[in-house]
Amino acid sequence: MDQYNEEQEKLHTDLLTLNMGPQHPATHGVLRVEIKTDSEVVAQAIPHLGYLHRCMEKHCEDVDYRGVIPYTDRLDYLASMSMEWGYSLAVEKMLGTEVPARAEYIRVIIAELQRIASHLMYFGTYAIDLGAFTPFLYAFQDREEILRLFEEISGARLLYNYVWIGGVWNDLNDEQLRRIGKFCDKMEENMKKYHALVGMNKIFRDRTANVGIISKELAYEYGATGPVLRGSGVEWDLRKNRPYGYYDKFDFDIVTGKGEMGQVGDCWDRYYVRVFEINESIKILRQALDGIEAGPIMGKVPKIIKVPEGEIYLRTECPRGELGYHLISDGGKKPYRLKVKSSCFTHTSMLPDLAPGQLIADFVATIGSIDIVLGEVDR
Amino acid sequence: MSTHNETTILTSNRIHEPLTLGKWFKNVWTAVSTVTKGMAITFRYVYGVKPVTIEYPEVREELPANSRSRLFNDVENCISCYQCATACPVDCIYITATRRDKEAPAIKTKDGTPIRLDLKQYTIDTALCCYCGLCTTVCPTECLTHTTDYEFAQYTLSSMKYDYLADDIKVWRDRIVKD
Repeated sequence: MDQYNEEQEKLHTDLLTLNMGPQHPATHGVLRVEIKTDSEVVAQAIPHLGYLHRCMEKHCEDVDYRGVIPYTDRLDYLASMSMEWGYSLAVEKMLGTEVPARAEYIRVIIAELQRIASHLMYFGTYAIDLGAFTPFLYAFQDREEILRLFEEISGARLLYNYVWIGGVWNDLNDEQLRRIGKFCDKMEENMKKYHALVGMNKIFRDRTANVGIISKELAYEYGATGPVLRGSGVEWDLRKNRPYGYYDKFDFDIVTGKGEMGQVGDCWDRYYVRVFEINESIKILRQALDGIEAGPIMGKVPKIIKVPEGEIYLRTECPRGELGYHLISDGGKKPYRLKVKSSCFTHTSMLPDLAPGQLIADFVATIGSIDIVLGEVDR
Repeated sequence: MSTHNETTILTSNRIHEPLTLGKWFKNVWTAVSTVTKGMAITFRYVYGVKPVTIEYPEVREELPANSRSRLFNDVENCISCYQCATACPVDCIYITATRRDKEAPAIKTKDGTPIRLDLKQYTIDTALCCYCGLCTTVCPTECLTHTTDYEFAQYTLSSMKYDYLADDIKVWRDRIVKD
């Protein structure tokens, strides 16, 4: 053994630099991670951003308040409804607009449907990252129903422009509401099946348990939010702790990671949080379907929106974490400044701390489990 | 991270618990049982489940009625009010209009709005368009609409510019616009 060590000391070894992305399927978009590896073990990982930068914040300074909404769609394109809602809320707060009750209920319904769709997307692609293809097809089959509904009410499948300042664009009819109710029943059954198929699977458990552990301290340090923070065992959900819209009327639980398969805050816990949040969303949806009342869907908004001078910071709970809008107005027709605080960006900046000592395959599992969308990271 | 002569031997930081015989058997049992459970779920999809995919070129999907696809402007009903061009967040609508002669016969749109401007050019660059639908909602005569036509790929960028006053637009007008 001593001889072996001596021989090795004479050998010149160096770390191998490996570029993962920007077209790597496991990075879910155009994230490039520069990895320094020693054989199969990652020594250092540096994320490089900016491949999807579209100058969204600058563009918004040049369009009127209604025209910003299509741009907010393109932030997190898998959860456009939630993105629009945050922006609309910020402008409504500054205008002092009252949103009708029906519109508030519709907003809750579509935001929760969007959350289900987004988590299903995570569920499917995460399984693909770990080498299982079947769950992806099941997840997309259910997601398709949601997208079909969104297409009927808003006209588009991904970039909706549906939540408008003061209300929503189109009304939901009774047939569609009934369909959502049916979908809830089906989804509840399906989630049990999917969890048995993927989450309890021994191979999946071995790949995700004790991998990419984000401790409570690390999550606080970086300011992680959403399922990543809840996966680390912190009970924090803006819908419950700082309710906006009509969320204070609904009864639901906050799902947190408990470290059932390994340590608290590992990839399996984040998977668990997302999958069981779908069940909580179904709970909210059922209550919203019971509570929805007839009425107008659009509040009183002037034809040309002129927001009074001032500024506001408003955050909402999106499927991937908290999304904050900092809107500054100088009293004109266009926003003076719109800053977007994205949760995906903070989660991406955690990667250098998570990577050292991981196998490359585990690193892929870690990137998948924090579920980033590069449209929101780069803006 | 590493200088030239530094030797680096990294090991994975995964936690490996010591394996006993009992644990080994338990591992095998959970692997077999959970995979069997998963396979049982998957096998239910072999029979009795309808295919959900659409075989596209043969079967064409009918989009919902208010689906936002190719834009169409019925120029005969357009009053050149520029509202669509103002609302557009990407500025892809180009309108040129001149004042109508006083001697010329008075014309009206379908809903009775008098047309005071002669439309000389109405072009939408659909390559720039983001299909947000803001232009159609502000249109006072409802002449600018989204159709449900989704097959309009082109070979060149310039052919994505639709001049709605040109004759060739009328060819697909009858095909896609439902009154």
